[in-house]
Amino acid sequence: MRRQLSFVLAVLLMLTLGGAAFAANDTLVIGTGAEAVGLEPRLETDVPSFERINVIMEPLVKFDVEMNIVPALATSWDFGDDDLSLSFDLREGVTWHDGTPFTAEDVKYTFEWVLDAANAAPNRGLYADVSEIEVVNDHRVTFHLGSRYAFLLNNIARMPITPAHDGDRADFRQSPIGTGPYILQSWTRDDRMTLKANENYWGGKPNVPNLVFRTVPENSTRLLAFEAGEIDIFQGGVVPQELSRLEQDDRFAVQRAPGTGYNYLGFNTKVGALSDVRVRQALSYVINRKGIVDRVLAGIGTPGIGPIPEALPWFNPDVMRYDYSPDTAKELLADAGYKPGDINIRLFTNENPDRMRIAEILQFEAKQVGINVDVTIEEWGAYLSRVQETDDFDIFILGWSGQLDPDRAMIRQFHTDGANNYGKYSNKQLDTLLEYGRTVAPDSKESFDVYNTAQEIVVREVPYGFINYSEEVGLHHKYIKNWTVHPYGAGAWQDVHLMVKDK
Amino acid sequence: MSRYIIRRLLQLIPLLVGISILVFLLVHLSPGDPIRMLLGEDATADDVARLNEVYGFDQPLYVQYFRWLLNAVRGDLGVSIRQGIPVNTLIFERLGATLELALASVVIAIILGIPLGIIAAVKRGSIWDYLSMVIALIGVSTPGFWLGLILLSHVALKTDWLPMFGRDGSIFKGIWVLFTQFRFDELSKGIRYVLLPAFSIGTGMMAIITRLTRSSLLEVLGRDYIRTARAKGLSHQIVVLKHALRNALLPVITIIGIQFGAMLGGAVVTETVFAWPGVGRLIINAISQRDFPIIQGGVLMMAMIFTLVNLAVDLSYALVNPRIRYE
Repeated sequence: MRRQLSFVLAVLLMLTLGGAAFAANDTLVIGTGAEAVGLEPRLETDVPSFERINVIMEPLVKFDVEMNIVPALATSWDFGDDDLSLSFDLREGVTWHDGTPFTAEDVKYTFEWVLDAANAAPNRGLYADVSEIEVVNDHRVTFHLGSRYAFLLNNIARMPITPAHDGDRADFRQSPIGTGPYILQSWTRDDRMTLKANENYWGGKPNVPNLVFRTVPENSTRLLAFEAGEIDIFQGGVVPQELSRLEQDDRFAVQRAPGTGYNYLGFNTKVGALSDVRVRQALSYVINRKGIVDRVLAGIGTPGIGPIPEALPWFNPDVMRYDYSPDTAKELLADAGYKPGDINIRLFTNENPDRMRIAEILQFEAKQVGINVDVTIEEWGAYLSRVQETDDFDIFILGWSGQLDPDRAMIRQFHTDGANNYGKYSNKQLDTLLEYGRTVAPDSKESFDVYNTAQEIVVREVPYGFINYSEEVGLHHKYIKNWTVHPYGAGAWQDVHLMVKDK
Repeated sequence: MSRYIIRRLLQLIPLLVGISILVFLLVHLSPGDPIRMLLGEDATADDVARLNEVYGFDQPLYVQYFRWLLNAVRGDLGVSIRQGIPVNTLIFERLGATLELALASVVIAIILGIPLGIIAAVKRGSIWDYLSMVIALIGVSTPGFWLGLILLSHVALKTDWLPMFGRDGSIFKGIWVLFTQFRFDELSKGIRYVLLPAFSIGTGMMAIITRLTRSSLLEVLGRDYIRTARAKGLSHQIVVLKHALRNALLPVITIIGIQFGAMLGGAVVTETVFAWPGVGRLIINAISQRDFPIIQGGVLMMAMIFTLVNLAVDLSYALVNPRIRYE
């Protein structure tokens, strides 16, 4: 018996010999909720993938935290005289992680691959106006355009450059090289991605030698691990109920920034009562935006106003507002000739808990003004097929993310022929404005005028009922310095090399 | 014996084909288009059509099925639509984690469950019996994920050697290192990571084992041959542990086998809570993304392991009870 006991004690002793799981000062640990699908910028579409890609690879230009376009692999750029070309001067002395110099050929290779229809790159549409990519010399590259496209620069900021000499490797998507501040070491999917500092990074050697992304899908677990110090930065889906407690804890810092996305009600503008703009306006008046942000989204987000996020310079604050007002809604409905109970509407949404609760709230509020809303919850894929491929719906709830320029935020959604105009909205004046807007220099007064008017039309005619703007929330230990939460989720870690960990 | 095994293995074939047809139909007939989900909202109809052709989704369902089956028989489960990685790779890189967690849970459940059951049966009606049964009742009625979160916030957060989540090293590798290099650190690391998730899953199973051991042992203890053994003057300990327990364990082993199989795919909630990189999470993610090849391959693989485990359980009866022979 005594022998057995001493064996048990020995085992216990040996178990405790293992080191603690805290992250040391030389390793920065980022805990995220969702795993990357892959690390190939030409193929991925999800934010978690781009968060990681953007520390390994870099685009020609990038968005800073104020959403200005700033140099990355390109040092300067200029539009040709006819606005049918865009040239970049590339940074000299930049090398890939394997030591090969970065040149204009890499830029040409990346975008030609994306533009080749055979590769079915999901983001090909972003560059559809590019007709040719010309290598002027090793450090200058010119994009020739088939038609004027003022926001090409914004779209180029979305695409990190891949290496021409290595990009066709079969497992590039799992183990890419780049020019960025960190070099990928290993990746155990659904568990961890380990990177080490790129000593030769053109932007300066990163402050922290090692970077680890840990995937912890359960928010509560991630939060506990964060509080225990196993994770330095908590990312994605801050548990809203915990936010006020965390904000008061002096070990932690909470940062908030307006995001680049929003949730909306999409109206089928061609059927029944919803084809009357007054009915759509009435429904917009009964969206209790503040209540939804406070109760459903636990205070993360801001009431929705129009199609352009507040973080963008083109945001027009002077559009018509639909402050919650059931009385105005009733007047509009009476004006349109509808009596309470006349209107029956089918609302569809998917199994997203927030959207389901928004649907319930809307159902209740609409009932107060005499509109019957029938809510159907569908599985995501089926729901998407219904909205995108049929017009068998009256209202749907969806969201847009990564709205980085006014063209992309409006022309697909509200142009009569827009690819994502699921509600079949049509306004000739708006079509003209949106077509014109993409040919005008983005920083000109004309551009702002065009999009101010366009926003006024969209908000007035309500093809969408805007529910809320997104908000990016960053949660980190105070010993992490030099990090600012980014409005564009994909850019969250693009300046990770500047971060300092001082425990 | 070997003839029996071969016969059982041959019986697996129609079973697996049946399962594969069922999964294939479920996956393909449920709504949701993987190509559309892959290409996102900007996709043109041309792009969708092109990729449908690449993945063969433009073919009739039975053609798709036989193509897939033909490849599966050759050991090729296809390529993930979403990630572009062979399904075999995706499954095998997680299989170790899943098996480790399932085995560790079973070990914990057995180590705790069988002694508790024996105590309850032998000391029937005493405070020990009631105590064991209360523990079992709590175990069976506590959801694993909840227990997991409680363990995290009240145990892991307060000690500094139990990690909160994830997996590092493995027990299998740890045992190998222990016996080849006489180092304990790998095994210790593996155990520390698996301990809490295994305990969360293991308690439910422990409860079942405790109750079953108790009732089964009580039944056996009432039999004539036990009375004979006692009459021979054998000690109480020997009668219970050598004569009674062996027979009493037969139904327990059956349950352990079934539970072990269920853990392979059914531990997904606990896998999520502890960020354990197992097959369950792979399949669940694949379902939400409509990644058909992963769902089909993953379920087929799990079904195969489940049936093989059950075969092993059947064979182990012979070890526990020598009167059982397989012809």
